[in-house]
Amino acid sequence: MSELTLTSAVVLSFLSVAFFLAFVRLLRGPTLPDRVVALDLIAVVGIGFVSAYAIASDQSILLNVASVMALIGFLGTVAFAYYLRRKA
Amino acid sequence: MQDAVCAALMIAGTFFMVVGGVGVIRFPDLYMRVSSSTKASTLGAGFILLSLAFHFNELGTTMRAVATITFLVVTGPVSAHLISRAAYGIGVRLWEGTIRDELRGRYNPDTNVVESVELESNEDERPQAP
Amino acid sequence: MTLFLLNVLLALAWTALTGELTATNMVIGFLLGYGTLWMARRADAPSGYFKKARQVIKFAFFFLWELLKANLRVTYDILTPRHRMRPAIIAVPLDAKTDMEISFLANLITLTPGTLSLEVSNDRRVLFIHAMYVTDADQFRRDIKRGLEQRLLEVLR
Repeated sequence: MSELTLTSAVVLSFLSVAFFLAFVRLLRGPTLPDRVVALDLIAVVGIGFVSAYAIASDQSILLNVASVMALIGFLGTVAFAYYLRRKA
Repeated sequence: MQDAVCAALMIAGTFFMVVGGVGVIRFPDLYMRVSSSTKASTLGAGFILLSLAFHFNELGTTMRAVATITFLVVTGPVSAHLISRAAYGIGVRLWEGTIRDELRGRYNPDTNVVESVELESNEDERPQAP
Repeated sequence: MTLFLLNVLLALAWTALTGELTATNMVIGFLLGYGTLWMARRADAPSGYFKKARQVIKFAFFFLWELLKANLRVTYDILTPRHRMRPAIIAVPLDAKTDMEISFLANLITLTPGTLSLEVSNDRRVLFIHAMYVTDADQFRRDIKRGLEQRLLEVLR
């Protein structure tokens, strides 16, 4: 069990790196679609975060959070894509 | 044994996520960033959720994990396609190293009409869309 | 279709008999049920179920293999300092006709790292793909048509 806890800690810290990289892209842009892609990646990394934390803390209920994040991330991207089309 | 599989899957997923993040930073244009991010991250989240399913090994949790993976795998390409299509529509530039753009001039952003191309393997007659 | 439902029923029966409601048990039950149905099939009235099942599995493995290859290539390119990609937008003529075939094909293409389906022409005859590793446009067209599209249509039709 303790190996798994250790792995989760390492995994969570590496996921923070991915989160940070996506965040840099979100800040740098240069265009709006780039930022949307970065947001999408952030949502997916968030799903990874929650799942890894669910394993670390042994709470399967957190899987629901991951599912909802997947749903909302997709809806957000679709909404942004429509917005971009409308604006053009 | 189960913990080892679980840890391996989790590490694989994290690896893909970090690679996706690095790709989003390093790739020079939007279309490649979409390629890198959506796929690496879908695969990454898929592996981590699979690891979660292995860890708990109950029917309910496994089913929900599989449902979430299915949802991610189905919607990942859809959102990638939508965002890159919208980007092409508003004229986001391709990288200067792009060797060919066969869509150029065939897309009309005002009417959203995409013309087709005559290619040699299109020889047989197809019903026209209304 | 009936055989598929029977197979699911057999899987449920196996799970009930072993008394443990886990996913592993369901999968084992499904595989055993498939074997049972295969042994009990009638020679005079062949069913499409076994052929279709084999085709779907073959396609799944083919696609996973492609996914792995493309993934390794993109990963290698991300992690090494030089960019070796030659991106292009390529028009690929479609043999897939119905909405379902086209959307399946477009989704599978987008799912493979390095290729991204951008647009479908309004008369639904051409799919525009953004690909990261194109050495020759005609070669790429042929790869997509012979590889993914042909195999996908085999499974779907």
